[in-house]
Amino acid sequence: MTIAISIDSVSMDYKTDSGIKHVLDTVSYDVTDGHFVSIVGPSGVGKTTLLRLLTGLATPTGGEILVRGSKLSGAPQGLAVVLQDYTRSLMPWLTVEKNIGLPLKTQKLSKAEVKLRISDSLEEVGLTGNEKVYPWQLSGGMQQRVSIARALAVRPSILVMDEPFASVDAQTRFDLEDLVLKVRADFGITTVMVTHDIDEAVYLSDEVVVLHGSPAKVSEVVTVDLPFPRSQVATRNDPKFAELRTRIYEKVRGI
Amino acid sequence: MKIRNWVTSILLGLWVPVLLVWAWYRVSIDSTNPYFPPLPDIWARFQENWVFALVPIHVVPSLRNLLIGYLIAVAVSIPLGVIVGASKSGGSYVEPVIDFVRSIPPVALVPIFILLLGLDSNMRIAAVAFSASFPILLSGIDAVKATNSVLLDTAHVFHLSKRQVLWRVRTPNAMPQIFAGLQVAFQVAFVVTIASEILGSGFGLGAFTLIAADSFMIIDAWTGVMLLGLLGYLLNLVFDIVERRSLRWYFGQKKLS
Repeated sequence: MTIAISIDSVSMDYKTDSGIKHVLDTVSYDVTDGHFVSIVGPSGVGKTTLLRLLTGLATPTGGEILVRGSKLSGAPQGLAVVLQDYTRSLMPWLTVEKNIGLPLKTQKLSKAEVKLRISDSLEEVGLTGNEKVYPWQLSGGMQQRVSIARALAVRPSILVMDEPFASVDAQTRFDLEDLVLKVRADFGITTVMVTHDIDEAVYLSDEVVVLHGSPAKVSEVVTVDLPFPRSQVATRNDPKFAELRTRIYEKVRGI
Repeated sequence: MKIRNWVTSILLGLWVPVLLVWAWYRVSIDSTNPYFPPLPDIWARFQENWVFALVPIHVVPSLRNLLIGYLIAVAVSIPLGVIVGASKSGGSYVEPVIDFVRSIPPVALVPIFILLLGLDSNMRIAAVAFSASFPILLSGIDAVKATNSVLLDTAHVFHLSKRQVLWRVRTPNAMPQIFAGLQVAFQVAFVVTIASEILGSGFGLGAFTLIAADSFMIIDAWTGVMLLGLLGYLLNLVFDIVERRSLRWYFGQKKLS
């Protein structure tokens, strides 16, 4: 099994007015190629910091991150993100199709290819026919689907999601979770997701990484050996599901 | 339904002006004061002057100076404001200077422009362009500086180049605020256009009104003032339409939230 992302004793310190704040302390973890990995932990533990490091938005103060063997500097190629705050992450002055097409402007693609990728991604997330509307004319769940489509259009090998479903209602959340599972089954993209929802982490992941402490360390890596395809009813009723979520819950709480 | 709302709002907006004109008519109709002529006299002269005998020599030059000067200000100040706003340190060097110059009432700069550039229409255009620049610059710098970090993070992760971030993300994001600056700049440009004609010009609405008043052609001066008011109002209407069209996404979003 090849390693997509290698997080090698990464530490992160911030300078604040009241001195240096240690957020992450020698965090090490390897993301296997094609896996779906969730990072969970109590709020404020440093999940989002770790994610900013993975996307190249910040540089670790100690250790290093390797993406497919090469050291990360800046945003890695072949990586796409879906952020929690879709209202700010999508450009309100661009229509849905232009939002999805924006990152494609950095790649030298023919017009036909761009068009094809936009329609393919929209179809994948079930939004065909919404090319010409503005994101703010859509519901929250649909806007987050647009973000996912935008990420898929760059044909990423790694997808990073920061609490992607935290701002939508429960029913929409289930739909989006299943959409993410479908995307994963269709393309086999290596996915790293930060979430505070333990059930969601178990439902979607191959492995769940628990961060704990201040500064945060990896306190546990839990392998989720629930069978695929997963379903909201059967998977969540599996006794193993309950067992896994209990175990992760205890680790998050530091019990 | 939409048209009906539109008609209602126009009727509602109209009754105050109608009342004021009526009051003006009542108060002025028996006036024998030469400085305060009866409204019907002004109206008759207004039609003689401005429909459309004097339009080519007085309205056209003013509008020309206004539009050229304003468009120069827009073309220079939007990009400049965006660039300064996006640079990490640029703003802090430039802003005190901008704050200093813009504190000078624009009309007070006209004599300086006359000294530097003489009395031709280039001077007037330069004065308009210069004074209209500051509101646009300031709004651009402020708005671009305040681009929210999620937007910038998104652009960064998707590998947009610095140029793309500047012109495809920061600039459109700043446009609603820049338009507020554009509107103020337009009003400044109008005032400076008229004020710049007060010296050394025989043509233009400002020149016409001032010369008429100085020559005791009081009714003509009144028609000049009247036309200035009407023009200012109409130009603002045009501005609003342009703004609504350019920022359709912004107004649409605002209406929903």
